Amino acid sequence: MNDNLKVLINGIIKENPIFVLLLGMCPTLATTSSAINGMSMGLATMFVLICSNAVISMLKNLIPDMVRIPAYIVVIATFVTIIEMMMNAYVPALADSLGIFIPLIVVNCIVLGRAESFASKNSVISSVFDGIGIGLGFTFALSLLGAVRELLGTGQIFSLNIYPEQFGSLIFVLAPGAFIVLGYLIAIFNKLQKKEGTN
Amino acid sequence: MENKLVVSPSPHIHSGDTIQKNMYGVLIALIPAFLVALYVFRLDALIITALAVLFCVGFEYLIVKYMMKKTPTVLDGSAIITGVLLAFNVPSNLPVWILALGCLFAIGVVKLSFGGLGNNIFNPAIAGRIFLLISFPAQMTVWPAPETAFTIDAVSSATILGNLKLNPELLPSLQTMFLGTEAGSLGEMSALALLLGLGWLLWKKIITWHIPISIMATVAIFTGILYIFNPIPLYNPLIHLFSGGLMLGAVFMATDYVTSPMTKKGMLIYGVGIGFITIAIRLWGAYPEGVSFAILLMNAFTPLINNYTTPKRFGEVVKHG
Amino acid sequence: MFLSLSLICLTVAVLLAQVNKMTAKPIADAKAMKLQNAISEVVPAFDNDPIAEAFLMPDGQGDSLLVYPAKKGDEIVGYALNSFSTNGFSGNIQIMVGFDMEHRIVNYSVLQHGETPGLGSKMSEWFRDAAKPSQSIIGRDLSKGALAVSNDGGNVDAITASTITSRAFLEAINRAYAAYSGNMDATSGATQSESDTTGTTQSGSVTNISGETNDNDEQDITSQEGGNDNE
Repeated sequence: MNDNLKVLINGIIKENPIFVLLLGMCPTLATTSSAINGMSMGLATMFVLICSNAVISMLKNLIPDMVRIPAYIVVIATFVTIIEMMMNAYVPALADSLGIFIPLIVVNCIVLGRAESFASKNSVISSVFDGIGIGLGFTFALSLLGAVRELLGTGQIFSLNIYPEQFGSLIFVLAPGAFIVLGYLIAIFNKLQKKEGTN
Repeated sequence: MENKLVVSPSPHIHSGDTIQKNMYGVLIALIPAFLVALYVFRLDALIITALAVLFCVGFEYLIVKYMMKKTPTVLDGSAIITGVLLAFNVPSNLPVWILALGCLFAIGVVKLSFGGLGNNIFNPAIAGRIFLLISFPAQMTVWPAPETAFTIDAVSSATILGNLKLNPELLPSLQTMFLGTEAGSLGEMSALALLLGLGWLLWKKIITWHIPISIMATVAIFTGILYIFNPIPLYNPLIHLFSGGLMLGAVFMATDYVTSPMTKKGMLIYGVGIGFITIAIRLWGAYPEGVSFAILLMNAFTPLINNYTTPKRFGEVVKHG
Repeated sequence: MFLSLSLICLTVAVLLAQVNKMTAKPIADAKAMKLQNAISEVVPAFDNDPIAEAFLMPDGQGDSLLVYPAKKGDEIVGYALNSFSTNGFSGNIQIMVGFDMEHRIVNYSVLQHGETPGLGSKMSEWFRDAAKPSQSIIGRDLSKGALAVSNDGGNVDAITASTITSRAFLEAINRAYAAYSGNMDATSGATQSESDTTGTTQSGSVTNISGETNDNDEQDITSQEGGNDNE
């Protein structure tokens, strides 16, 4: 159990997919125009990660090495399709605003990366914990990025007014702002981690 | 005693140029354009320029001293130039807080985040202007009509380039554009004043002719060819040369030492690139003006250009294919 | 190896089919709901099912628009039109706009767009701000002439710093009006029999038919278009 906790924490901080591994940049930059979008994208990815990690870990002895990548992709695509249908059915507004990026979770390298590097070598339980950890790390990063962009761009966080909208710099809601904010967040994250390391 | 025996790598002969000398040279070259801005926009021009310089120098001082914990070198003049150029690129009635944000972005993000003068990839003034243009498009694209023009009642007025695509019949005469009393940002008023600045820079050997002339020539030739086939105002090379921020960009912003190529050949490639992108954006883009985007894009290409135009070392064997 | 991959695919296919079956109805409901809301927002109160009675009308530019008639009892009180413009600042703009029977705009709602947030995206509210008559298009009578932004000599103020979006938006409105007025003309003089409309299939490319198309609709379409061809 202690090991599982370690796996979980590892995913959030030491191997944070966005700030440390720098994986899955496309949805990160594209969907974080607001905190709520970033968070829902993170949660959707987390769902896929947990399920695919669990299933792949279960099937790891059944899947021949030669066809493991197609098999992983089929499993991942299944869960992505499921969550896409669910979102369309029950939260259509959110599905509209995330648009193409939900189906694109299939090609998110974090999901396949974890399947290949973790789930295929570890037990089901620890794979699930890895999925939760990495998923939380991803969600945390996306929410933070979305929140900062939303705050600087529109003066709101989770649609709560912090300061009047006309003082917001539109650039942060647009694509260039995503790059700028991500760069600074990575810098801050690195600095904090370095400090932790030396202490 | 020890100071007399300094061991240093080559070059050992110093031309006497210093950062300060060149930077203040550029500032002197900006004076004619500033005088025109004063004439056209009166007190507003002075206030905006002074505030922009103050903000830029102030932010640089504070960030270098308290965040980077180094000795501030604000008096090397580069922050002053950034401030002046940024002010020259905004409408004269821009709210002060927007101007301050632009200065913070130019100095804090574009310049000091990369390590300060000499390490920045992009020209701070250009990046600051684009930041403001994208962030506050409403405030950045409403220009007060010049007070000396005949239309006194107009509060805001479209620029030449704005009219070029939509209603060409509203264009002012070429003479007005050249001397500079049309609507627009502070420093882009008068092509004549900016050309005087260019003359000074060339005479003092602060810059070489390669970048500004190659930009202007590319613009003139590109639009000239289109004009021959279809002589409408949109393709008139003179309008493109004398309107918008072309002169200001070509003379003062594209020639920034840090962000432009080092070799003559590289400078020509860079200039031609800026000319092409500018016209492409002006003619087919959504924005009426493209100079600043063109410079920013070519800034990004500068390291690559430098890499491909490294001069042959003396004595190096030329490879035979 | 072949076997195991096939097995995985088969299992997955069954699973997905189940989920699809489960979610198909909610998805369709959500879509219909959205359309229904958009329609009821832009036309006077009605008590029929406009989606079921939808038909296509040519817009005079080679395309056809979906028209949703709103009826109170047996009387038509207005039309909602699903119109579009391809000249947005980034991508297409799709709107739903409603007209009453006197050629006036009742209301509109923007269905889909890719305009810049904070600029072009303001069109969802800008053109119906009742406090600012120079930019509001609500209640304008389009039989007096097409709408245009004031920069182009029209009488609608464009969104600040978003002239392109404003232009595209008004284009979509004007397109809707073209189809609407074509329909008004057709219904006032549509008396010809259905027999001479069999071969007409010029409905062009409609971007988004989200209503349920049954046989009744098809007939509606052909008869309406036939009526227009006769003009």
